[in-house]
Amino acid sequence: MEPVLSPAPPAPAAQPPAARVRAWEGLSDFAQIADFAPVAMWVTGPARTRLYVNQFYADFVGLRREEALAFDWRMLIHPDDRARLQAESEAGEARLERFVLEGRFCRGDGAWRWLQSTSQPIWDVTGTHIGFIGVAHDVTEAREAAQAIADKEAQLSAFIGQTTAGFAQVDLTGRFTLVNDRFCAIAGRSREDLLGLTMQAITHPQDLAGNVEKFERAVRDGTSYTHEKRFVRPDGTTVWVNNSVAVIRRADGTPYGVLAACLDVSERRAADSALRRSEERLRLATEGAGMATWEIDLATFDGPWSDNRFDLLGLPRDPNGRGTLADWLAVIHPDDAAWVAAAMRRCFKEGTPVELEYRILRADDGSERWLHSHGRRVERSDGRAPRFVGVSFDVTRRRAIEDEVRRSEWQFRTIFEQANDFIFTTGLDKVVTSCNPAVCAALGYTEEEAVGRPFSDFLADGDVGQADEMLRRKLKDGGTTRHTIRVRTSSGEVRLWEVSSRLNTGPDGQPVGLHAIARDVTDAQRAQEMQQLLINELNHRVKNTLAIVQGIAVQTFKSDDPAAARAAFADRLRALSDAHNLLTREVWGATTIDAVAAEALAAHDPDRSRITIDGPEVRIAPKTAISLALALHELATNALKHGALGTPAGTVRLAWQITSDAADTAPRLQLSWIERGGPPVALPDRRGFGSRLIERALAAELGGSVTLTFAPAGVECRIDAPLPEPA
Amino acid sequence: MSVSLAGLRVLVVEDEPIVAMTLEDLLADLGCEVEVAGTLEQGLAAAAACALDAAVLDVNLNGRESFPIAEALDARRIPHLFATGYGAAALRDRNALVLEKPYRAADIRAALETLLGP
Repeated sequence: MEPVLSPAPPAPAAQPPAARVRAWEGLSDFAQIADFAPVAMWVTGPARTRLYVNQFYADFVGLRREEALAFDWRMLIHPDDRARLQAESEAGEARLERFVLEGRFCRGDGAWRWLQSTSQPIWDVTGTHIGFIGVAHDVTEAREAAQAIADKEAQLSAFIGQTTAGFAQVDLTGRFTLVNDRFCAIAGRSREDLLGLTMQAITHPQDLAGNVEKFERAVRDGTSYTHEKRFVRPDGTTVWVNNSVAVIRRADGTPYGVLAACLDVSERRAADSALRRSEERLRLATEGAGMATWEIDLATFDGPWSDNRFDLLGLPRDPNGRGTLADWLAVIHPDDAAWVAAAMRRCFKEGTPVELEYRILRADDGSERWLHSHGRRVERSDGRAPRFVGVSFDVTRRRAIEDEVRRSEWQFRTIFEQANDFIFTTGLDKVVTSCNPAVCAALGYTEEEAVGRPFSDFLADGDVGQADEMLRRKLKDGGTTRHTIRVRTSSGEVRLWEVSSRLNTGPDGQPVGLHAIARDVTDAQRAQEMQQLLINELNHRVKNTLAIVQGIAVQTFKSDDPAAARAAFADRLRALSDAHNLLTREVWGATTIDAVAAEALAAHDPDRSRITIDGPEVRIAPKTAISLALALHELATNALKHGALGTPAGTVRLAWQITSDAADTAPRLQLSWIERGGPPVALPDRRGFGSRLIERALAAELGGSVTLTFAPAGVECRIDAPLPEPA
Repeated sequence: MSVSLAGLRVLVVEDEPIVAMTLEDLLADLGCEVEVAGTLEQGLAAAAACALDAAVLDVNLNGRESFPIAEALDARRIPHLFATGYGAAALRDRNALVLEKPYRAADIRAALETLLGP
């Protein structure tokens, strides 16, 4: 403490103490100030007599002020401090210089108090020493506080010295001012070495620039910082440290140093580095695989996302690599947003893992993409909120391919189901593995009955070997086989199938079965056979007809009258042709005597007035019909030339009936041609073709007897034959 | 003409009466004695019972084949030939002489000469 009254006016040297006191008391301004001061103050004369004490002084010693003036303050010194304080006091007084004492004194109430006093010699105007003026502070609390701090510091220091953390304090230039053992061990240097160095000197050159910048900013702005850097040890090795750095200030706020808590993180750095490399590899691998990763902290609903997740959603990449739940939800297709959000809520709240396939509309171009995301809630051991960890793929292309496959499959399935053709597959063991409804309908089995059975079960006996041979051929030569084979339906009906089949091959190109497409050619085959039959039959009939024509020609041209023969030949061909016309109308089936007669006799009786035709329906075969027609033609021609039809009044009655003599005899046909009203009939000179045709050919045809009578009343022809069979 | 057909007894089996009549006339002109049958039954009866030197058989007799008659003739070693509108195919691999309808007189003669020749 500075002397309060150094320039104070000196008192006269000769004045008695009382007068001097009064003289001091006369200094009313000083006295007023001194009495209010929270410190003890006094003034002494040359013989150490107290000339003045202030109120604080009197209060401390617990006496009235007059008593206090006479009281020897040395009586109050703590026994432990007495000798020291008396010696220092005497020495100070002897030097006539300012001196300071600090020690314990007994206060009036008995409490020991630390007092710090400063005594200042005072001089009169002549330069004569006239005494001292003193001031004493009660510094008890201050000392206790200082002691407490010292204790704390010792404790802290001990703690620091033993901790794994290094502590280093540097001044504002970076020079080490304090280091603990651990810091020395980390830095690899002795305390003595370090205290002669700057932190810059032991910092790795590559970390220096950044470090200095942070250091200077901290000093300038008072900002704390934490960073990782390398120290270089004397042996050239480096050590990674994590430094937490704070500026140390004086009470007035002025920085005077920087303290760093220093952790050796080399091992962690190495581990981190390995982890980072491994994470990087994983990231590259996952991104290469089109997999985006993302996390959502369930307290903040944001978290680290991989860059490609931003790309996937069409969002700009966040510089900090963080995305929010809302970012994601915003791009989900409106049709999928509700159920996706519901699934995520379940995952967040109940921990149900999610596996979602949904559409997004990319944030940048609005294009629709299919994403496949799966993820789960991950609990954290440190009590923080759980997080969601997920991965996502763009599966648009896969979906498109699947859609195409589905569409294609549907198309083929439709063809398979709806085709009229029979489609089926078998294994190499010839067991049916699939068949379409057409197969089932044709064979009369259900799909369940057909699938799983050997195909040979559905073949007609005797055709199994053929199917085996076809399979053998395909296995040997590949390609498609096409053959007709007889199948047997559930009702036992045999149908003819034309089967085209080829081998199915597996992924390795080896045959695994065969697929076949078939159609029922039974009707087509029958039609073809029928056609061949008809062609053959037609050929036969033409040949047969030509033989008949030849016969007619040979017989007709035996005549001596060529002109008549030609006319007769033409007529006979005409009769033959008419009979064919009739048969063609009847499709060469059975016809009736009535129809044959009407056709054969139409030319001879255009008005249908001369010839009576009368008889029940009798069906006769085509061949019989031709013979009958030719015979009737001969009879009618003869009647026109020589008989009843040659005169206006003549008539012919053609009649037939079916007779049966008894129940046990076959019915017979009796047919008669009877001419009446014609000219008298004369027996012909010789039996011509007509007579022979009737008597022999027709008789042979019918297998009965024919009687031709040239009776005078008119020609009669009577036929008696078994009732003809219609075919 | 090395073989004389005169006096040969020939069976004609033909279900078409006009054709049968014509063949009968042709054979008669060659000097043959002709027996005519119009049905399978008549033909079988004739083949079994008549004294014959040769036979001319139609294949199709009212829808039935005449092969049983041929077999009956074979049993009696009576040479025969077929006359048919179907041609050789109708014989179904039978080794026999076939005369295709329609035929001429010269054809039937040549066929018979071949049939009866050395």
